[in-house]
Amino acid sequence: MAFEKVLTRNVGHPEALGVRGYRDRGGYDALARALRMAPEEVVEEVKRSGLRGRGGAGFPCGMKWSFVPRQHPKPKYIVCNADESEPGTFKDRLLMENDPHQLLEGCVIAGWAVGANTTYIYIRGEYTKAARILEEAVRDAYASGVLGENVLGTGFRHDIHVHRGAGAYICGEETGLLESLEGRLGQPRVKPPFPAVVGAFGCPTVINNVETLCCVTHILQRGADWFKGIGPDERNTGPKLYAISGHVERPGTYEYPLGITFRELLEGCGGMYKGRGLKAYIPGGASAPMLGVNDQEIPLAFDHLARAGSMLGSAAVIVMDETTCVVRATLRLSRFFAHESCGQCTPCREGTNWMAKILTRIESGKGTEADLDLLASVVPNVGGISLCALGDAAQGPVKSLLAKFGDEIRDNLRHGRYPLPRQRFFDPGAAS
Amino acid sequence: MPTVTIDDRIVEVPAGTNLIEAGQRVGIQIPHYCWHPRLSVVGQCRMCMVEIEGMPKLQTACSTQVVKDGMVVRTKTPAVLEAQRAIMEFLLINHPLDCPICDQAGECALQDYGFKHGQAFSRFRYEEKRTYPEKERVPLGPHVLLNMNRCIHCTRCVRFTQEISGTGEIGFFQRGARKEIGVFPGRPLDNPLSANVVDICPVGALTSTRFRFAERVWYLDKKPSLCTGCDVGCNVTIEHRRGRIRRYKPRLNPEVNDHWLCDFGRTTAERYDELPRLLAPRIRKDGTERATGWREALDTTTQRLRARSHEGPLAFLGSGFLSSEEAFLLAALADAVDSPHRAIWVDSGPARRIPNPQGWIEGRDAAPNRRGAELAGLVPGKGGIDASELLVGDAAARCSFLFVADSDFGRAAHDPKVVERLRAAQFLVVMGWADTPLARVADIALPVATHAEREGTFVNVEGRLQRFSPAFPPPSQVREALSVLGELLARFRPDVAGRSIAEVFADMAAQRPAFAGRRWEAIPATGTVLESIARVAPAAEG
Repeated sequence: MAFEKVLTRNVGHPEALGVRGYRDRGGYDALARALRMAPEEVVEEVKRSGLRGRGGAGFPCGMKWSFVPRQHPKPKYIVCNADESEPGTFKDRLLMENDPHQLLEGCVIAGWAVGANTTYIYIRGEYTKAARILEEAVRDAYASGVLGENVLGTGFRHDIHVHRGAGAYICGEETGLLESLEGRLGQPRVKPPFPAVVGAFGCPTVINNVETLCCVTHILQRGADWFKGIGPDERNTGPKLYAISGHVERPGTYEYPLGITFRELLEGCGGMYKGRGLKAYIPGGASAPMLGVNDQEIPLAFDHLARAGSMLGSAAVIVMDETTCVVRATLRLSRFFAHESCGQCTPCREGTNWMAKILTRIESGKGTEADLDLLASVVPNVGGISLCALGDAAQGPVKSLLAKFGDEIRDNLRHGRYPLPRQRFFDPGAAS
Repeated sequence: MPTVTIDDRIVEVPAGTNLIEAGQRVGIQIPHYCWHPRLSVVGQCRMCMVEIEGMPKLQTACSTQVVKDGMVVRTKTPAVLEAQRAIMEFLLINHPLDCPICDQAGECALQDYGFKHGQAFSRFRYEEKRTYPEKERVPLGPHVLLNMNRCIHCTRCVRFTQEISGTGEIGFFQRGARKEIGVFPGRPLDNPLSANVVDICPVGALTSTRFRFAERVWYLDKKPSLCTGCDVGCNVTIEHRRGRIRRYKPRLNPEVNDHWLCDFGRTTAERYDELPRLLAPRIRKDGTERATGWREALDTTTQRLRARSHEGPLAFLGSGFLSSEEAFLLAALADAVDSPHRAIWVDSGPARRIPNPQGWIEGRDAAPNRRGAELAGLVPGKGGIDASELLVGDAAARCSFLFVADSDFGRAAHDPKVVERLRAAQFLVVMGWADTPLARVADIALPVATHAEREGTFVNVEGRLQRFSPAFPPPSQVREALSVLGELLARFRPDVAGRSIAEVFADMAAQRPAFAGRRWEAIPATGTVLESIARVAPAAEG
């Protein structure tokens, strides 16, 4: 598919790791342009672009910025959520490791737009290489006058701190992240108040995903209209990174216009592993409900996937072929959520664990049809009434297991055939 | 003030009131575990879900504030009931259900809400429950024991130590289903307010080392009273079984102790078990002592008070444990026999501090009512002997008659040297509930009621006048000090015979300026500040 790379244009150009090389390739023009505009105009431009958050929830970025009170006695903060920990997701790593200044530029633009003088980049603890590169880039940016007291000579002050997390999925939840950033136990806060009013250190705070802030850079560079022109419709715009993994020939991060179909995406990465048949795929990271063989023509965009009962999430596409035991795959995800639940609220702490236990029983061949019914009645109570979105996320895979594969599992339980034999995802010998 | 509609009932509340409190105002109970009126809102238990018109999802009542008119809330819709059922199920699947051996049974929010919102069967089949091995009885500190298996992770205790006591000993560790509370290594839960976490724990996870296994709570009778541990005057509920006090629980008074009670205060009732009780009047004549009736005891006392054949002063020593009314009568008795020798003794104790919404109150006396007794007139008259002359000096030896109105007036009542000094009086009358070494050497020992068996008022360190009432009757031969002093006084002043406590209080209000204008019946439940002394009361620090 012919498409001009935007977010990944500097991948493969290591000179862009430095400020000079980045500038030579057109970098920091967007920031200069933004600083000539009034902050309200920048917010308006981002609003007009239709940019929606790339972290998972897909909240309109410009609207989020406009929630920050203009006049506020306290300082304001930009927090970049680089705690990329949704299973299957590795798109932000690519951006941070290959084009850190693209992110820094987006952070400073966001700071100008909402009137924040400080950005915290909260980066996943395991991303040691990305953290090192970012820290180096921040130092370079200070030395080159891009950060600090006098950004690009305009008198605007902006500082960026890179803060490494300590390895908890829940710290990717925005308020859990803030707690962790403030040095406390990483547990989400009860909302409202929302971070736009009471965020980091009790101050108004904008929290954006890495890819979102990178998009901001390009919106300011090339205009909202250009950005809007990419993607299927007004509400689903811009370029998008898809991180594809699982049973495909060439897993990796691919950039496409938002709204490419799964079939096109699959073609782009060489098709199914060894040409096997597709059983299921997860379109947006572990929290997104699974889709099946019949869902391959759905555009991978926010609204389209929501209508299909799933979600774009972080656009981490996990592909499972016909040899996959979906119960086992779902159990694996359920165990993940049970393990990563912060444990403060009742439905998530107890519910994720209970779901994993029931699935364990079914997967081990000891389940009955009653277990499927029990699962069906427990699942809706795990999300919806939980404190943060992790409860909802934990529902996703199990819900889709019951919806898409319930009859198959039921049939197999009845005949004592399930589950499929346990096997390695990949034949180590063949994966050369 | 904005109004909110809860289950079709309209209630007007101050802006910022949350829906749980708003519901309470119109008698609508919204079940909750983690919310507590004095702790920060965390919305963790998810039990207080309600439906709010215009909101797509259920909301937690604890974190939803009424800010403007027009909010419409429903607390009993199918979605709410299903959420409550689900939360109860989630809380119980891993709960040990060991109510028969759990101290909390009978006052457990899991039991209560289980009946009301839960279901009578378990769908948690086959699987093993999550347990915390070796965490069934972890001493968190000297007063508190943790059974992690019973914990529902509401974090009230964590927030108490962070936000109320300010000591931060308890933390939240691990995550997911393994989440647990605990203390940091080498930092036990050992602060003066530690046992409050037992009160606010909605389940049996935190139990009191003192109360543990002492009594099933449904056998306890509960009566409002005051703590006598110091002059803060904390409001307590006495919980007793047939006159044996099993524990004190704090009783809400936002002006004094709020929801709290200090660890020391909780132990004070143990004194009633530790010291032997004086159960009948006793008389010592010609070197032998014997039990006697009230008539002989009071007649003999009266004779000695009347007899002017004996040389030396008639002295009256009270204590900070006397009620204001008793102190007033004792002072009146001294007046009736023209004696200026009236005094009180109060031990000064370590500072006891209690937080309330206005700040901290600090008490320094080891008795509840030094101020009330002094305001009631129990202070030396002109040329009168004061307490230290009796206890430290040799003033008692000069006395022809010494009336000690509290056998357990302080540490000195147990000091053989002081007992000897007081015994040097020609005639020694000791009144009190405890058979202390001092009572044992008395010529007349008069058994009277403990504070749990009588009524009266105390005036605390801030000048707050508070009433207390009997939790249970005294033993058969034991009388209330007020009636004993009243009867003795009546023998000199027949005009005040047969006074009720309200009448005694009225007399006091008429004669003592500090109490002027106060009426016994009109003392509010949270007490009332006697302005005249509030101004001179020492302010608590920090």
